[in-house]
Amino acid sequence: MSPDTVFSLASSTAMLGWLLLILAPRWEALIRFIRFGLIGALSLTYAVLIFVYFFRVEGGGFGSIAEVRTLFMDDPVLVAGWVHYLAFDLFIGTWIAVEADKRGYNRLLQAPMLVATFMFGPLGLLLFCLTRATETVLEPRKA
Amino acid sequence: MTMLFNDSVALAPSRDLAAGEDSVRRLLIVGIGLQLALAIPSLIALGIDERLLNDISVWSKPLKFQASLALMLGTLLLLLPLIEPRTRAGRGVWLASLTAVVTASGEILYITLQAARGRASHFNDSTPFEAMAYSVMGAGAALLVLSSLVIGVYILMRPRPGAPTGLRLGGGWGLVLGSVATLFTAFALGSGEIGGRGHWVGGVRTDLGGLPLFGWSRSGGDLRVPHFFATHIMQALPLLGLGLDRFAPGLARPGILVGALVSIGVVVATFVQAVQGQPFL
Repeated sequence: MSPDTVFSLASSTAMLGWLLLILAPRWEALIRFIRFGLIGALSLTYAVLIFVYFFRVEGGGFGSIAEVRTLFMDDPVLVAGWVHYLAFDLFIGTWIAVEADKRGYNRLLQAPMLVATFMFGPLGLLLFCLTRATETVLEPRKA
Repeated sequence: MTMLFNDSVALAPSRDLAAGEDSVRRLLIVGIGLQLALAIPSLIALGIDERLLNDISVWSKPLKFQASLALMLGTLLLLLPLIEPRTRAGRGVWLASLTAVVTASGEILYITLQAARGRASHFNDSTPFEAMAYSVMGAGAALLVLSSLVIGVYILMRPRPGAPTGLRLGGGWGLVLGSVATLFTAFALGSGEIGGRGHWVGGVRTDLGGLPLFGWSRSGGDLRVPHFFATHIMQALPLLGLGLDRFAPGLARPGILVGALVSIGVVVATFVQAVQGQPFL
């Protein structure tokens, strides 16, 4: 399987998860499918890419921009890095959805937070956390 | 299996006993989980990674170790209920289990890391780090078999009242003999004193074309053969005991004695065979 194929398969997998998360009803089984099916598959893909390709990159590492750039110059490791984003962003998105449901956030207001997480990961997480902080201040829950 | 090992009817353990036992079980279960979690990506990597060590896939070794370490921890988990409840919930069993799980996890993490790096884990002194890691692995392996030895001794010395004779003797002696025999065979293998560094004695120094599944050399002696038979006494004798309890309970004692002698005989014979440079098959 070429890095391009893995890239597009992984991207489609993540896209499916995000569509379900943003549009579908929050059935328990669906959340479970996203967590263990889709995110599980992405994580397994990542693990295999790391097992097989990571240590082949001469001069690669996490210690400097140059080392990280060297890693990303290598297609399989670049795809691994991409899958890392996809898996973790979707995991965070699922957590936001479950947490927001628990707090009774309207789905229309959840959508922008989820889209922001889909596109820019930590930005969406920040939106959700700041919203939640605001909510806690304005409406303190009883313990 | 569960039925056979279930002792919940015989006693109503206090809360502390149950908690102590539960923490031991959880240790072993998490340890098994980690082995299997590494085995799944390793298995896929075996299919796509073209890198070789000794002319076979770099992933062949981690898979064998993941399987056998999961099996070993699983054996301890299944045999644990043979120990008398108070002892089972005590510190000794907990410490032995913790040692087994920590060392088994350490071994497999390094073996898997080295496979991912495309480098040998055993017999690799080529960098200071790898030399250090190889000697730490030796110490870890010794502690690992020591922990199964301790569990075995507990089963023999402090058995649960009413534990079936065959399983108790098979489980206890299986762990004791399996551990001691592994200590000898694995350290004879790891010392590099027999046939030079590596598991080969004579023959072609490659793992290509080895015995299917096991990978043992077919052109010369292979010191992994006695190591394999020694280590799996830990499963063979309890299984024999289980069978004796079921089909010939009166013969449990002599049956386990014969089984133990045969097991040791197989280990000695395959060891002599390997030292003489003869392939197993």
